[in-house]
Amino acid sequence: MSNTTGTIPTSRVTGQATSRFQLRMRTREALAAYLFLTPFFAFFLIFVVRAVVQAVSMSLYDWQILRPGQVYVGLGNYQELMNDYVWWISVKNTLVFMLITVTGTTVVALAAAVAVTQPIKGQGFFRVVLYMPTLLSVGVVSLIWVWLLSSQYGIINYFLSFVGIRPVNWLGDESLVIPALSLTTIWWGFGFPMLIFIAGIQGIPDTLYEAARIDGANSRQLFWYITLPLLRPTLLFVTVTGVISHFQVFGQPFIMTVGGPGRGSYTVIYYLYEIAWRAFRMGYGSAVAVSLAVIVASFTAIQFRLIGRRVEY
Amino acid sequence: MSLQDRPIFQHLWAYAILAVLIVFVLFPLVFTFSQSLMTNQEVNRWPPPLVPREATLANYQQLFTQPDLKLDIWLRNSLFAAAAYTTAVILICSPAAYAFARLRFPGNNLLFGLLLVTIMIPSQVTLIPNFLLMRDLKFLDTFHALIWPGAANVFGVFLLRQFFQQIPAELEEAAILDGASYWGRFWHVILPLSTNALTALGIFVFLGHYNDLLWPFITTSSLEMRTLPVGLQVLNSSYAGQYRPLVLSGAVFATVPIVLVYIIFQRRIIKGVTLTGMGGR
Repeated sequence: MSNTTGTIPTSRVTGQATSRFQLRMRTREALAAYLFLTPFFAFFLIFVVRAVVQAVSMSLYDWQILRPGQVYVGLGNYQELMNDYVWWISVKNTLVFMLITVTGTTVVALAAAVAVTQPIKGQGFFRVVLYMPTLLSVGVVSLIWVWLLSSQYGIINYFLSFVGIRPVNWLGDESLVIPALSLTTIWWGFGFPMLIFIAGIQGIPDTLYEAARIDGANSRQLFWYITLPLLRPTLLFVTVTGVISHFQVFGQPFIMTVGGPGRGSYTVIYYLYEIAWRAFRMGYGSAVAVSLAVIVASFTAIQFRLIGRRVEY
Repeated sequence: MSLQDRPIFQHLWAYAILAVLIVFVLFPLVFTFSQSLMTNQEVNRWPPPLVPREATLANYQQLFTQPDLKLDIWLRNSLFAAAAYTTAVILICSPAAYAFARLRFPGNNLLFGLLLVTIMIPSQVTLIPNFLLMRDLKFLDTFHALIWPGAANVFGVFLLRQFFQQIPAELEEAAILDGASYWGRFWHVILPLSTNALTALGIFVFLGHYNDLLWPFITTSSLEMRTLPVGLQVLNSSYAGQYRPLVLSGAVFATVPIVLVYIIFQRRIIKGVTLTGMGGR
């Protein structure tokens, strides 16, 4: 401050004043920061922090919504969960759904992105149309596909009849219902990873491709030796977000199959919904929710370790 | 020049992939639209007819005369709740993001670390406690339940913080010399420079809310407070059995507004989605 005014060299007294002035500025800045943060943290504390803490504590109670007093059961809910075969069916279904959907989505999205970034005509058109299903709500998507997959009048079965396949009961067969829901979800969701892959591919320097072409590489070699290795961080992002979001599948089984046939399309969230809002067992439901959180968090951690290490090449 | 070297043949495989994908994407939409113009009899026929013998709008008329269906109200609810929610997220998250990006204060790392931890936790963990809170606040079956619980959007803070950090400090210094307050710097300098990031976040948050099913399903109960995804579930469970084309016309009705908006703003939406996606890495 004293330098800019260009007066007498700083004495001890003004030095103290300067530091006190700076201190005051610091305090003001911190005060402003806290004011800026207050609205967000008010909501964050109420709806996230409090809710998570309450979910964990509720999972230790036999907490039933229609009963006034709640009974502490310690880890009883978790013990029950470990022996609950419907929970394990739901976990298995969710894992299978997630694996098929993430793999399918990633492959389709990558193929679409590589094709669309070639120097071809109509790039913009292809990109816009292929992203369209992603904008639809899960309600619309479910209503459309439940009819396409119908065993009696379904158009998919009609197409399959051309190649001699007899009518398939997609949504009524326990071994087919999860793949059928995955197919629906791949159609719905590949647009987002496609856009991410497109951005990733466009970030790869052209010089790499030119150099490889001079060395006589063909399109397939360019993909395997340049595009794919350099897309590894993007691939990590797409699979991690895919695993997390598809593990939380609810709408498709809820609308298309109501968890059926039998418990063939029970997923973790579907089971959570049924325990908490059909059986009103909020304590047991909280144990399901907390277990879900542990599973999702460990998936993320494992995936980051696996692919994350290989990203540095 | 041989046939092989012509650009169109060189990239034949790309066209082939794209052609297959375009059919994969468009066929279900076109087929649904076409069958929504058919009578109940015609739809339930083998082989499934692709084009209506005589296109009829009767199903769409039915859609608005059935007393247990309120598609126009559901659409309005969905749009209003999503718009209000998006506004709340932006107003609440952007000042917080500015503080994290630009201001020095004790506890910065601690608070930001807290956010990082919670991004690992799936939102369903908060479902039961927040439902009970809505019940105790008498917010069930009102718009409050659809707007406030998700307003502290951690992803929004991350995205905006990252964007604000990239804005050159010199731009803010001019405002400091003019004696602008912290609020003035944020409101008049930083926000106007961030319209791209704000639109991107807005689209992302809006669509996420517009698509949500479980939360509106458990927090609303009256026919007049349902949102579109919940209403479509109602439509499907009551009519899929005996009146399929009604269900299909409902799906088309719910699709048209979003596709129209998409066609008008597609450039912005695609850019925005890419930006938020990259912001999330």
